[in-house]
Amino acid sequence: MAARRYDLPFSEDGSGRFLPWMIALMVYLAALASVAALAAREVVEQWNAGLEGSATVEIAPSPDDATTEERVAQVLEIVRAARGVESAEAVPAGDINRLLAPWLGTEIGGLPLPRLVDVKFRSGQAVDLRALSGALTRVSGARLDDHSLWRERLRTLGRTVQVAAIIIVELIAIAAGATVVFATRSGLAVHRELIELMHLIGSRDSYIARQFQNHAMSLALRGGLLGIALAAVTLGVIAIISRPIGDALVPGVSIGAATLAALAALPLIAAGIATLTARVTVLRTLRQMP
Amino acid sequence: MVRFQGVAMRYASGPEILHDISFNLEAGSYHFLTGASGAGKTSLLRLMYLANRATRGTVKVFGHDIGNTSRRALPALRRRIGVVFQEFRLLDHLSTRDNVALSLRIAGVKEDVIRAHVAELLSWVGLGDKLDSTPSTLSDGEKQRVAIARAVIGRPSLLIADEPTGSVDEAQGVRILRLFEELNRIGTTVVVATHDQRLLSKFNHRVLRLENGTLRIDGPAS
Ligand SMILES: Nc1ncnc2c1ncn2[C@@H]1O[C@H](COP(=O)(O)OP(=O)(O)OP(=O)(O)O)[C@@H](O)[C@H]1O
Ligand SMILES: [Mg+2]
Repeated sequence: MAARRYDLPFSEDGSGRFLPWMIALMVYLAALASVAALAAREVVEQWNAGLEGSATVEIAPSPDDATTEERVAQVLEIVRAARGVESAEAVPAGDINRLLAPWLGTEIGGLPLPRLVDVKFRSGQAVDLRALSGALTRVSGARLDDHSLWRERLRTLGRTVQVAAIIIVELIAIAAGATVVFATRSGLAVHRELIELMHLIGSRDSYIARQFQNHAMSLALRGGLLGIALAAVTLGVIAIISRPIGDALVPGVSIGAATLAALAALPLIAAGIATLTARVTVLRTLRQMP
Repeated sequence: MVRFQGVAMRYASGPEILHDISFNLEAGSYHFLTGASGAGKTSLLRLMYLANRATRGTVKVFGHDIGNTSRRALPALRRRIGVVFQEFRLLDHLSTRDNVALSLRIAGVKEDVIRAHVAELLSWVGLGDKLDSTPSTLSDGEKQRVAIARAVIGRPSLLIADEPTGSVDEAQGVRILRLFEELNRIGTTVVVATHDQRLLSKFNHRVLRLENGTLRIDGPAS
């Protein structure tokens, strides 16, 4: 059966000219906000994972290199004996100098620098950090840094980004709903005479509401598809531009299948919001008619 | 079928344009409603086809006291009433076929049933070759016939026509009123508003006459 035209002349009321563009813009913004939030979360998780399996022991320098080396050896012994430790390596003094050279210059041979011991834990095994920290107090000037401060900060950052993204997407959804309310109200005003006519020939409010909601759904779906297509292009361009600089800072963010499905659902969600909003708006308005 | 008792009506906060109207239309009757332009014919019909509620008094249609009927119950009553509006009120973006089909679609009739009935009725009113034309391409007389087809397609038990002969010549007008007589013969109650005294004198039906917002009921015109 050929698609029947609407009983109400929606093509004449201008809603088709602005609603799809508004919805396209909103779906576009929502898609970018969601991807940004997911990417941020993934980066935070990767950083966190990097920190989780490791700790650093810092050994304050003493004036005499020989005693420093001795204390490093003591630390290595204690750490390697601890439960859950996979490996512990002293960072060579030369490496530390090289790391600091950009800030302190190369003429720092005589400067007393702290020594570092990298500790890697076996994955999936609980480590008694407090006991390890206690054991290290036997070596003067040694201090265990389990990165917990950084990990706490990262967790907070991750949570903040996520909450912000949820709020942004919700605001966009509210704005989309408000736009549909506005478009529907103006449509009701424009078609007032025809709506009265439809009532007089026996139409129920729900029949009229169905006209508006189907119209809103088709406009929102069209706009939503456009918005998601534009978002896909934008993300593609960002991916291409960022590839050369990518891995240094951001350890390879990939968009998973679940994310893709969520993004593909955005136009459908927009259409759903539009349908429901139009229906409720029409029914509420008509209920006040005689 | 339709009973008015002490009915008064005003639009919004305007003056009262109908006062103390009482009458009774029996099922199967055929009435004319006449009066000068602006006398209130359309307003009285609007009360009858449930477009407005009376400001005072009781309007009963099909035995339902409209003043006490909820909004939700009105569509079912309205589907039993066919209305030919004074200004046709066709939907300009729809074909003749879809205009007539609208009353049935609204009532949820199946598409194949609609298709057959609409084509049959439109050829009966002489528009069989205009099924896909839009109203803007029709003459006023043809529009009037589309409006009539839309009013009667649902086999209403009450047919209300507001100046259905307003834009056609006298011969056409007589044909339309004869068509209503045929419907009346198969049981439809008919009310026709017209200010055309010559036309209604050609028929032998009871006349409701509006003057200064009140009603006088005459016997058959001739
Ligand atoms: N929607 C409205 N709002 C306010 N006043 C109205 C409205 N419709 C009609 N009137 C007023 O009510 C009075 C009766 O109008 P109505 O249309 O019922 O007369 P009528 O007998 O049908 O006239 P005509 O023969 O020209 O069709 C007029 O004075 C008119 O100005
Ligand atoms: Mg009138």
